Amino acid sequence: MIVCVAVVGHQNNPLYIQSFTEADDALKLHHIVHCSLDVIDERVNNPKKSGTTLNEAFLGLLYPTLNYKVYGYLTNTKVKFIMVTTDLDVRDTDVRSFFRKFHAAYVDAVSNPFHVPGKKITSRTFGESVGNIVRSYTFN
Amino acid sequence: MVREVAESCVDTMLMEMVAMYSGRFYANKPELAARRIEAIGYQVGHQLSERYTMERPRFSDHLEAIKFICKDFWSEVFKKQIDNLKTNHRGTFVLQDNKFRWLSRVSVEPSPEKETEDPSTPGESKAAQAVSMYLYFPCGIIRGVLSNLGIPCAVSADISSLPTCSFVIRVKA
Repeated sequence: MIVCVAVVGHQNNPLYIQSFTEADDALKLHHIVHCSLDVIDERVNNPKKSGTTLNEAFLGLLYPTLNYKVYGYLTNTKVKFIMVTTDLDVRDTDVRSFFRKFHAAYVDAVSNPFHVPGKKITSRTFGESVGNIVRSYTFN
Repeated sequence: MVREVAESCVDTMLMEMVAMYSGRFYANKPELAARRIEAIGYQVGHQLSERYTMERPRFSDHLEAIKFICKDFWSEVFKKQIDNLKTNHRGTFVLQDNKFRWLSRVSVEPSPEKETEDPSTPGESKAAQAVSMYLYFPCGIIRGVLSNLGIPCAVSADISSLPTCSFVIRVKA
C-alpha cells in the first residue's frame, strides 16, 4: 500500500505532504521524502544514467529502503511528486498511471484561481481526490 | 475533459478588463493599468501552462519551450499556430501571428486630420496606444507560461498592421 505522497515545488518547498498510515511514523516518512529530493536532483542533472527515459516526467524508482520503495515524478514546471509504498513488488506501469492521476488532481487544484502559486495546497477537494487515488492503488 | 468558453465571452471580458483598468481604476496612470493587466495575464498563463504541459516530456532547452508556445499552446488558446518564429539564438524570440484572434475584430477609426500623411499624428498614436492596451494580457500569458517552465523573460508586443501582431520575448540570462 502507499504510505505517503508528497508534492514539492520547484524551489524544493513543500506544497503538500500526506501520510496514510495508522502508526505514528509521519516524521520518518517525511524524512524519506526529504532524502529523495537529492536523488531527484541527481537524476535530473545527470541524465546519462537513466538512459532511454530521457526527459520523461516519470523518474522511476528513486531508491529502495528496507521496508519502502520511493518513486518520483517531475513535471515540466519543475514540480516534484514523490510516492512511498510498502509494496516491494511493483510494476512500473501501475506507478506511472498512479502518477498520471495524481498529477491530474494537482493540476485541477492549482487551476483554482484562488490558489496562490508556490503556497501549500489547502484544498480539501484535492486531499479527498488524492486519498481516493491512493486507496485505489494496492500494487499486488 | 474539454471545456470550451464562448469566444464572444472572452472578447467581452478582455474589453471590459481593459476598460475597467485603464478607464476607471487607473484612469490617469496608463503604465500602472498596463502592469495590472499584465499581472492578470501572468497568473492565467502560469495556471494554463500547468495543464497544457501535463502529457509531455520535459523541455530540454529554451527553443523547445518556445516551440511549445507557438504550436501546442497557441492552438489550445487561439485554435491556430503562430505563423512565424524568428530568433537571434541569443535569447530573443519574435513570434508573429498574422491574424491574432483578440485583434481580429479591432478596427482603427481613420483619424479626422487626414491631410497629414505623417504616421506620427496624434490621432494615430492614440489609436495605437489604445490597441496596445489589449496586448498586455496576452503578453502576460506568455510570460506566465515561460516563467512557470523556468524561463524568466520579458515579453512585449507590437502591431504593425492590424490584425498582424508580433510578440517579442527576451529571455533574461
